[in-house]
Amino acid sequence: MKRLWYFIREAYTSLRTHQTSTLIGILTTAFTLTSFGIFLLLYHNVHNLLGQVQHTIQIIVYPKDAIESGKLRDLQQGLKADPAVDSLTFMSKQDALREFKEQFPEEVYLLEGLGESPFPASLVLTMAAKTPTTDMIANLVNRLKHHPDIDRVRYNRDWIERLTLIIAYMEFGALVVGSILALASVTIIAITVQLAFHTRQQEIEILRLIGATSLFISIPYLIEGALLGAAGGGMALGFLRGGFEFFTHKTQGMSVFGGFSSELEFFPLPLSLILIAGGILLGCLGTLTTIYGSLRFRL
Amino acid sequence: MIQLFHVTKYYDGCLALSDISLRIEKGECVLLTGPSGAGKTTLLKLIFGAEHPDEGQILVQNRNIARLGGSDIPYHRRTMGYVLQDFKLLPQRTVSENVALPLIIRGLSSFESRRKVLEALRAVGMDHKLSTIASVLSAGEQQRVCIARAIVNSPIILLADEPTGNLDPQLTTEIAALFKAINTRGTTVMMATHNRQVVEQLNGRILRLDCGHLVSDQGAYT
Repeated sequence: MKRLWYFIREAYTSLRTHQTSTLIGILTTAFTLTSFGIFLLLYHNVHNLLGQVQHTIQIIVYPKDAIESGKLRDLQQGLKADPAVDSLTFMSKQDALREFKEQFPEEVYLLEGLGESPFPASLVLTMAAKTPTTDMIANLVNRLKHHPDIDRVRYNRDWIERLTLIIAYMEFGALVVGSILALASVTIIAITVQLAFHTRQQEIEILRLIGATSLFISIPYLIEGALLGAAGGGMALGFLRGGFEFFTHKTQGMSVFGGFSSELEFFPLPLSLILIAGGILLGCLGTLTTIYGSLRFRL
Repeated sequence: MIQLFHVTKYYDGCLALSDISLRIEKGECVLLTGPSGAGKTTLLKLIFGAEHPDEGQILVQNRNIARLGGSDIPYHRRTMGYVLQDFKLLPQRTVSENVALPLIIRGLSSFESRRKVLEALRAVGMDHKLSTIASVLSAGEQQRVCIARAIVNSPIILLADEPTGNLDPQLTTEIAALFKAINTRGTTVMMATHNRQVVEQLNGRILRLDCGHLVSDQGAYT
């Protein structure tokens, strides 16, 4: 307990003594995480949008006209059990005819003389909101196309694949920008801790003299780095929240966003915590960079 | 307790200690004398584990210091106290905080720590200045606090490098008396000193070094 108190007090003393470098460290981390957070927020929302869009995707399966009722029932049960499928609606030939008449009452004359119903029966599949990836959907369509009781399958895959590609580019962009900014943040925190380290050389020498291990000497600096990182992470979260509220407020009702801005959502709690944890990790990495070389090989 | 076998040490190719062999028993009071650059501090640093010998072996309580890894050195240091000429106190901390540091490192409880700090400060006559900031103490008081910090862990060996170098004759007598008292209680004391007054007062075994060579050993246990 006394040790813990000692570590916390040392870290606090160091942060208070080097206020300017502490502030620079916090701001750099906040800037890094804010920039990264913008990508993450964009990614999070586009991903959500993709889920919603997928939910509106419909795959229309046309069974063969001559399919037996038992086989049709088996086919429906098999499709309902598929994880990519959210719901299934069977539309008989008569249902299709009724729907046509409702939607195009002016064109009903076209069907005259064509018998009972010229439309094929179909199974309309709606995709589950979160689970299916485009690969899963493609696999499902492929399987259905080769099914002996199915005549043809129809669905529009182009634009969902484009959206997936955009997400992949965003992931890559976030990785590159995030890595560069993280490196900058680690460097600044390392410099901040190094300053503290140099001004406390005498103290470190005394600690060595009385038998302190490198770990014991390092812990206050690690706490210092973690506090810097946590403060930076918290600040970044504040910036992002503020920016998010501002954006959604300004774009509300703007036709260019097609009402999409009302669907935007901020990070859920776990992601917010991950952002702060990211700050702590950057802080600790910065500290470790500084102390690793300084302490390890000295007697 | 302490054994050196043909220990040699160089600094950047310059000889600091040459082929030193000696044996120090438990409870001895050993005074290292000799001119500046004779190798007194180097010898203390080797025993303390602050330097590695280039040749030879050093046994402290049957542990070979020359073979200790970097991570073992701190634990070795906790078995001994070290007093330096320039005090090495944390100036912005109180007397009790300075003395308690070795106990915090060892992870002692607050209660035990307070008891030991008070005991150590009482032994050096500084228990009335527990809450005083170290930087406002006089030189003699600072050295007393350093001695208290060195003995707070009840070390079996107390090393001192010119502990009276910055003190006037009156304070020197007082500090030497403290070392004498600590030695009388059974702690092995090994002190590097130029000061004839201290040598006479402590009346211990005298090892004289010159240019890294052990030139005389007077008063050794037989």
